Amino acid sequence: MNSKRMPILPVEAYTSVDWFEQEQQKIFGNTWQFAGLVEDIQDAGDYITTQCGHQNIVIVKGRDQRLRAFHNLCRHRGTQLLRAVGKKQKALTCPYHDWTYDLNGQLISVPEKNTEFPDLDLDQICLHKASVDIWRGILWVHPDPNADPITKWFDGCWEKLGPHNPKRLIEYPDTYYEKIINANWKIVAENYIDVYHLAHLHSNTLQMYNHAKAEYGFVGDHYMFWEPLSSEYKDNIDGLIPTKRIQEMTDEYIGAYVPWLFPNLGLSEGEGSWNIFHAIPLAPDKTKVIVRTKLEPMSNWEFTKQQMKSNISWRGIMGGKTKYGNEPDTNSDDPMDWNDFMEEDVYVCEQQQKSLKNPLFGVTRTAIKGESTVRTFQEIVQKWLDS
Amino acid sequence: MSNQFYILRVIAIDHPIKDATTVTLEVPEKIRDLFNYYPGQHLIIKFKINEKEVRRSYSLNSSPFNEEALQVTVKRVQGGLVSNYIGDHLKEGDEVDVMTPRGRFYADIKKYAYKTYFLFAAGSGITPIISILKSVLLASPNSAVNLFYGNRNQDTIIFKKELDDLFEEYSDRLLVVNTLSDPNVWSAWKQWNGRKGRIDSEAVNWFITNHPPIAQSTEYYICGPGAMNISVRNTLLGLQIPKKLIHIEQFVGSIEESNDSINPIDNALLSVTLNGAAHQLSIPKGKTVLQVLKEAKVNPPYSCESGVCGTCIAQVIEGKAGMKSCMALEEQEINQGLVLTCQAFPTTKTLNVKFN
Repeated sequence: MNSKRMPILPVEAYTSVDWFEQEQQKIFGNTWQFAGLVEDIQDAGDYITTQCGHQNIVIVKGRDQRLRAFHNLCRHRGTQLLRAVGKKQKALTCPYHDWTYDLNGQLISVPEKNTEFPDLDLDQICLHKASVDIWRGILWVHPDPNADPITKWFDGCWEKLGPHNPKRLIEYPDTYYEKIINANWKIVAENYIDVYHLAHLHSNTLQMYNHAKAEYGFVGDHYMFWEPLSSEYKDNIDGLIPTKRIQEMTDEYIGAYVPWLFPNLGLSEGEGSWNIFHAIPLAPDKTKVIVRTKLEPMSNWEFTKQQMKSNISWRGIMGGKTKYGNEPDTNSDDPMDWNDFMEEDVYVCEQQQKSLKNPLFGVTRTAIKGESTVRTFQEIVQKWLDS
Repeated sequence: MSNQFYILRVIAIDHPIKDATTVTLEVPEKIRDLFNYYPGQHLIIKFKINEKEVRRSYSLNSSPFNEEALQVTVKRVQGGLVSNYIGDHLKEGDEVDVMTPRGRFYADIKKYAYKTYFLFAAGSGITPIISILKSVLLASPNSAVNLFYGNRNQDTIIFKKELDDLFEEYSDRLLVVNTLSDPNVWSAWKQWNGRKGRIDSEAVNWFITNHPPIAQSTEYYICGPGAMNISVRNTLLGLQIPKKLIHIEQFVGSIEESNDSINPIDNALLSVTLNGAAHQLSIPKGKTVLQVLKEAKVNPPYSCESGVCGTCIAQVIEGKAGMKSCMALEEQEINQGLVLTCQAFPTTKTLNVKFN
């Protein structure tokens, strides 16, 4: 019996299959889940699928431009109905026996109906419904067709987010990032909301922000965070900013807005980009992270020019050395030499997961303020598992 | 639903456009609760014109959510008795007889809802629609409104100024698309650069396709002349919008084919339960259930007498009745035995109906 705590949740919460299963049911199958960005479904008949715990959900756009969500399960014998993504479907057909549903989920055709199912009333059969909505340019789904409105789930959060209008910004395919991290999803989340580490692990990668002036806390189950730019960065922003400045990020609002929306979506709304950070639990010790980035619309030339300008100014003003004073080297074996805050985070998450198996592992103390966020997050997870 | 009339005082008369009159009515404190209403509902007002009593229903264009007094707006109809009386004679300080707000065309607006409302209005059909529009903006802070509003020309857009002001204040949640069937071209200073044409099937398809909802829970409200209502409704149904999300208010009579194939029974025996009392009457040839009740002076509820408003609904307990026309009832409700008494003829020897 292991009674070690992290410090609220037990170590098993990060290692055991049983915990993982419970979280799939009680958290991921029971909350609004990130399903994509609004532009992922363009036209009537386009669809995407997403996993909510053990339930796969398909979102399809109807001819009335409204999204519908269904459980991805043929009503005939329960086979998965649709594969990952699709375009311009007129109807939804199961590959197994070609049972076909319209875009409202209504069964409209069954092969050999007259001989094989003479008394089947098609009108009575509809795909199981789920909930779908759009909030902050993001598609959200919930397996429960009668879920509370998404605005209630995020009540009070909008006011704490940046002035960005994500719908206006453009995703550049080159900015897509995907990585499997060998750590529990909660370790990834806790790292994201750990305020204490910012000035230390990222001393030379996130030094453009003034961590001492960060404002943070929870709104409902969601973590909200804002910090201002450091004065060196702010005073020289036109030269230093690596991309075009987001139009809405006027001096009044500028800073980094970095919330963690429970349970597994981070946002990073900055002066030059708007990002989603989606942590998908694959196993107790495996999490897939997908980062998608949207930028102010600009030409390739503008993009390249600004990056070059930023690179040159950066060395002069912000210094170019890594945490341990080395020259950045992406070919180095040590991720701490790469000068990339994301890789620094991946490194510590994986190291922490590894240590959980060490008989000497333990958490002595956590920081009063800077790690209070981690404790609150663990209490929230516990609350959902107890419910 | 009470059929009592209450005396309300006219406290303001305005003209949002040349040919329309907005009448503001004051509700005395002690009967205020009776005059609570849902946006979209209407008032029945009784006038005495040339010694003759006439009733009309008018949709409220005020919103119950901003504490404004009751307001109806009446557009002149050529040769129309009441609309011209209101336009020419009604003045501040006058008293009118008014029944409490009613009607089945309304929006039940919830504070925490996250909805997109698609509103379609033509001409004076804007009155219940603007009530819904204002109420959504005021009372459901996360919900949005997309309005498609048709008029003849620049001079006939009722509430243009009010809509412009609302857009200024709520531009993140309100979208208004005006379309004019016959825009003025002679005057450069108000040249029309907006959409042209009526709200027909093609226009509705365009509107829906180009204004996708943000909140995915949607409702559709339509109010205009019969032809437009039918066309908008059929187009929405064609886009696979569920029937239960589509709400229609019919303004100027029914254009649906009237059902002339009814074979009424002459002198059928009518039993009625109304206002807690039972009555037995005979229905002479060619008379509707409502006409018989009116002649018997038993005070039946009614308003439009054209199968539109739904004021005269009753439940058939025994027997059968056929209706000439019935815009106010869904097929399912008819199957459950509801009838519009103003349209109903007995098709069995005895007919037993009950008013709620």
